[in-house]
Amino acid sequence: MDAAGSAHVAERSRVWRKFVRNPAAIAGAFILLVVVGAAIFAPYVAPHEPTRQSLIRRFTPPVWTDGGKATYLLGTDQVGRDILSRMIYGARVSLLVGISAVLVSLVVGVTLGLLSGFLQGGVDTVVMTVVDVTLSFPQLLLALAFVAALGPSLFTIIVVLGLTGWERYTRVVRAEVLALREKDFVEAARAIGASPIRTLLRHLLPNTFSSIIVMSTLQVAQAILQEAALSFLGVGTGSAYPTWGQMIALGRDFVTVAWWLPTFPGLAILLTVLAINLVGDRLRDALDPRVG
Amino acid sequence: MLSLVTRRLIRLVIVLAGVSLVTFAILQVSGDPIALMMPEAPEADRAVLRQSMGFNDPLPVQFARFLGNIVRGDFGHSFFHREPALPLVLARMPTTLLLTGLAMGLSLAIAVPIGIVSAVRRNSAFDHIATLVVFLGTSMPVFWTGIMLILLFAVRLRVLPVSGWESWAALVLPGATLATFSTPLLLRIVRSGMLEVINLDYVRTARAKGVSEWFVVCRHALTNAALPLVTVAGLQFGLLLGGAIITETVFAVPGLGRLIVGAIRQLDFPIVQAGVFVIALIVVLVNFAVDMLYIYLNPQIRVR
Amino acid sequence: MKRFILFAAALVLALPAAPAPVSAQKDTLTVALVSHAPTLDPHMHFERVGILVNINMFDSLLHRSTKLQFEPSLATAWKAISDTQWEFKIRKNVHFHNGEVLTPADVKYSFDRVLDQTKKSPQYGNIRAIKEVKVVDAETVHIITDKPFPLLLERLVFFPIVSKKHVEAVGDQAFGTTSPVGTGPWKFVEWKRDQLIRLEAFDQHWRGKPPFKHLIFRAVPETATQVAEVKTGGVDIIRDVSADLIPELKTHPQAYISSTPILRVHYVNLDMRSAPFDRKPVRQAANYAIDKATVIQKMMAGLGTQVATTVQPLAFGFDPEVKPYAFDARKAKELLAQAGYPNGVDVTLHSSSVAYRPVFEAMAQMLTEVGIRATPRMWDPGPAWNKFLQAEGKATQGMYGTWGNYSVFDADAVLHPLYHNEPGGWIGRWYARVEGLDKLIDEARSTVDQPKRKRLYSQIQQMIREEAPSIFLWTQYDTLGISKKVQYAARPDEWLWLYDAKPAAR
Repeated sequence: MDAAGSAHVAERSRVWRKFVRNPAAIAGAFILLVVVGAAIFAPYVAPHEPTRQSLIRRFTPPVWTDGGKATYLLGTDQVGRDILSRMIYGARVSLLVGISAVLVSLVVGVTLGLLSGFLQGGVDTVVMTVVDVTLSFPQLLLALAFVAALGPSLFTIIVVLGLTGWERYTRVVRAEVLALREKDFVEAARAIGASPIRTLLRHLLPNTFSSIIVMSTLQVAQAILQEAALSFLGVGTGSAYPTWGQMIALGRDFVTVAWWLPTFPGLAILLTVLAINLVGDRLRDALDPRVG
Repeated sequence: MLSLVTRRLIRLVIVLAGVSLVTFAILQVSGDPIALMMPEAPEADRAVLRQSMGFNDPLPVQFARFLGNIVRGDFGHSFFHREPALPLVLARMPTTLLLTGLAMGLSLAIAVPIGIVSAVRRNSAFDHIATLVVFLGTSMPVFWTGIMLILLFAVRLRVLPVSGWESWAALVLPGATLATFSTPLLLRIVRSGMLEVINLDYVRTARAKGVSEWFVVCRHALTNAALPLVTVAGLQFGLLLGGAIITETVFAVPGLGRLIVGAIRQLDFPIVQAGVFVIALIVVLVNFAVDMLYIYLNPQIRVR
Repeated sequence: MKRFILFAAALVLALPAAPAPVSAQKDTLTVALVSHAPTLDPHMHFERVGILVNINMFDSLLHRSTKLQFEPSLATAWKAISDTQWEFKIRKNVHFHNGEVLTPADVKYSFDRVLDQTKKSPQYGNIRAIKEVKVVDAETVHIITDKPFPLLLERLVFFPIVSKKHVEAVGDQAFGTTSPVGTGPWKFVEWKRDQLIRLEAFDQHWRGKPPFKHLIFRAVPETATQVAEVKTGGVDIIRDVSADLIPELKTHPQAYISSTPILRVHYVNLDMRSAPFDRKPVRQAANYAIDKATVIQKMMAGLGTQVATTVQPLAFGFDPEVKPYAFDARKAKELLAQAGYPNGVDVTLHSSSVAYRPVFEAMAQMLTEVGIRATPRMWDPGPAWNKFLQAEGKATQGMYGTWGNYSVFDADAVLHPLYHNEPGGWIGRWYARVEGLDKLIDEARSTVDQPKRKRLYSQIQQMIREEAPSIFLWTQYDTLGISKKVQYAARPDEWLWLYDAKPAAR
């Protein structure tokens, strides 16, 4: 390993140590582990089939309340489906939507940022104008309008959410590319005949890596909340396996007679998003050399 | 400085053109607008209407026509209400602005003092708790917060009206709900902006000179935090408008957000287009105003 | 400092939106609706929420009592002169809200307005059979139909009469938004779109003043919000209360429930044009698969009645001898195997009845359990749904819906739209393909011989029970949540006739 390599390793362990010192971040990471684990191992972890109905058991309250049953830990919904199982499967879809949307944003944003920074001139102006235009619309509003126009489906929602959140990546990548262009080593590379672009990219990645990681983490939280909002407003996908947002949307009318219906999915969103925010925030601090 | 302003103005116009393009795309992407306007009519009638309304023209021509219409304020007639779309949208705008402004005001009123104290008493219990509580605010879906607040304050405690827009008291719950949306970021900005300067030399000098601690804090540190605060507040406005859509639905507030959501459900695209455009316009104008403010407040840029 | 100026400026701009306090006095009745109709013009919409507002502002020729008898309203007497001609005596000294006196010319104008196809009234189909309305003298009107029209009187219960002079003076647009003038118990004060419609008692109403001086219809889209409003007294009446929320309101100290059977019938229309529902055994199997009793008991709080066909018990022509399908899962599986599906079959069902989504999902499960593996698909009601339906009836293979009959207590009002194949039909033209049914329906609606019609309808009900073009389900109740400050009872025609609402005795 060369000098640069071992410097990276030392850096990474320093980051790790800074991160680990914060109890909130640890708690957050733990919660995320549980959520991701539930999503991946859903068929093994869920106590019931999420679509299994039982009209006799509808509106069973959670196990610790009066009338609760041990088989339905968090109670059942309006057709007797187990809330806990639905939530476990819901983790899958919610995370799928959240992560996919962010991936779309990432790919689009980074590509545009690279193009903008490298090519500059006309391309740069166009890209930055597009960024400004996208920023002028509240993300939710734009997502609503396009999902309604295109017809609600999981794919549409992912793409639309992805296409309304990419600006930050573009800005970061672009700024970094512009900064790096000026550096001497690029000139030096050109002088010895090496491709300046490849050199740039090699140095680009480590510098932007931390910002992108942090931004992506926080964006996933955003995407999950946005999807919940879309479900609430009624443009959800209507599939048999609902996201947490859809569970809240479907259960909210019954909040006064069956509070557990929207509460637990709401808590799931809350804890997951909170965890992501805590981890992301701490990650940002840990990766920032200035903050001790 | 004038050329700077001019450049910003030009950018404003270009952005508005881009906004128009996106708004135009909404209707095009939906498929067949004529089928929405006349679902009962036989295909022959629809074909005639399609031709006469220009939907068969090439897209650039349609867009140019759309732009021309927008400039004159013509967004077509609402499919549902059978009235011109733009006046309907504009009539509802003040309500949403009031709600958003209220939420913004509440946010600032909470974020600024707590941010200051957090910065001054950095890493104390207060700081950690405040951060956590504020994080909670961002992590809850807005409609969830709204429903919970209704249950608590209106139904359990009976101190506030449940919904509607008929009294000043009715503004409180929706405003507070929406404020949970924007307070966290503002608080962080205040806090970090203050932290940046609180230990700087000129502040320490002022302290050494015997100036009162709070005076130092408020005058010097806050001025520094004011700049990013203004910028972020401007950006937050767009976010708040998004949150307002949901808040208006939960609390039955007769604002623009609810009108647009209803229009989307109805596939009433003239209203959707007019509404989306108006909101984008407001955001663009607010950002422009913030830009101008930034230039005014930041002497460095002005000198250049 | 600058930012505060900006903030203040924004507030000033927003001042026109400043809330105006509404006095919640004892003489104000507040009703919550999920939304408002797009116009107050009673002839230019077909929304239930619009009808509910219109009936309190406008009168029709006939009225219906709570026992569902026809009562005189703007018509004091009526009789059939022939099979295709009816005579109506118009009430004298009836005033419009603007002071004008009602004349037969207004009656004629109201009908002409809807019959005029250039006006594109959505209610045209309801009174299409009327050929002409003639003013005979100062208090008499003749209505002439092109064929015998047995539903005429029913349709006249909701056909608001408007003032010819006024509408012509202000124009259709203004009439529907800023000055809807009628003869009803309340007159229009203001309409804040999506917020409230404010009405005030009309002192010169021919029946006498209504018990409440002010009537407000608030638009409250969220169910939870509506329930909270009734509990806290912000609203006095809410409608369409879900069965699951009934216990909560029943036991609440400030509210009570009023519920009554109505016409509204639930069904799943099956697409007979394609597999698998083109085979009778499969359709019958679907009917045997549904445990109607459990759904009614467990999901509708017992507020519903099983039906043999889509003809409702309250409608004219209902034959109680035709019995509903029993719940028999075994028989269902047998029939399915008989039809050639021993291993079951996959189908998709669609619905836009958002309030009954849980029921829809429960039914899909029941069908799946006998081998008809049903995937339920929910749609938002509105244009997307209409678009879906219009596209050559793409809602295969089945569609769950409810039908309110437009409050017309006659079997034709459900049979024709659901099963008739002519272009004027509604769902029927896409799905139903029952041999000989069209002819029978036509026959029954072209005569005013009631006993003959009854016999025909019995025949029809037996036929469709056997052919099973739908999964026959149940009728429901109309459930209102009412504040204890107000005395009012739900009506079997799903109307909110608020003239009957009184402040509760203290």
